[in-house]
Amino acid sequence: MDSLIPFTTSGALMDCVDRKMLVILRDGRKLHGVLRSYDQFANLVLEDTVERIYHGNAFAESWYGLYLIRGENVVLIGEIDLDQEDDVPLKQVDYNVLEPYHKEDVEDKKHREEAKSQVLFEEKGFSKEGGEGDGY
Amino acid sequence: MLPLSLLNAAQNKPMLVELKNGETFNGHLVNCDNFMNITLREVYQTNAEADRFFKLKECYIRGSTIKYLRIPDNLLDVVKEEQNRAREANRGGRGVVTGNRGRGLPARGARGTRGGPARSVRGRGRGA
Repeated sequence: MDSLIPFTTSGALMDCVDRKMLVILRDGRKLHGVLRSYDQFANLVLEDTVERIYHGNAFAESWYGLYLIRGENVVLIGEIDLDQEDDVPLKQVDYNVLEPYHKEDVEDKKHREEAKSQVLFEEKGFSKEGGEGDGY
Repeated sequence: MLPLSLLNAAQNKPMLVELKNGETFNGHLVNCDNFMNITLREVYQTNAEADRFFKLKECYIRGSTIKYLRIPDNLLDVVKEEQNRAREANRGGRGVVTGNRGRGLPARGARGTRGGPARSVRGRGRGA
């Protein structure tokens, strides 16, 4: 990117407009869509959004359409290489087939994270997540 | 088209709002502000487990609790068209404005008399 553009939210995302992007949210959701707009908070407008879920070597998509995501909830935004996106060694299956497995994975992960944060809080002196000002 | 302008343009359109805690609200947007605070009417509220539903006539949602909004797919096109139409209208309007500007110039010169007191104010400022 041009070094004249400072490294700010607005600078870094400028090249991503009208590109197909992967957006990961704080709740773990992975959204694919075309970035149409953003602002200084990284509020995003995604067009033709699909949510992708994964389990083992399978993935599934569910179509959502136009999304306006509040910037706070965004963990990462990455560009999808259109030349390579079809080369992933995963097979697509029906969303309804994969959803129960995915839900199980999410539930498992939640339990693991809870156990981890319990240890971190009680033995390692860390604070708890979800404190003041944390909507999650 | 900034995200919040899009939200503004979505007034009276149906939308789905998901909060950070997973609750969802389905309804028509009544109004919104720059904090993303919104009011919806004819709302169906769903809890995070998606097993309980509530119907509300109207509700207010604080912007900071929102995770995302799902808005009608055609809204981007509608807004783009509206912007184009506004631009066309402006172009027509601007021609008239240019005409006015020509006529307006003497008025600007006339303002010179008003510049007198302004200059004296500046002088006072420097002195202090």
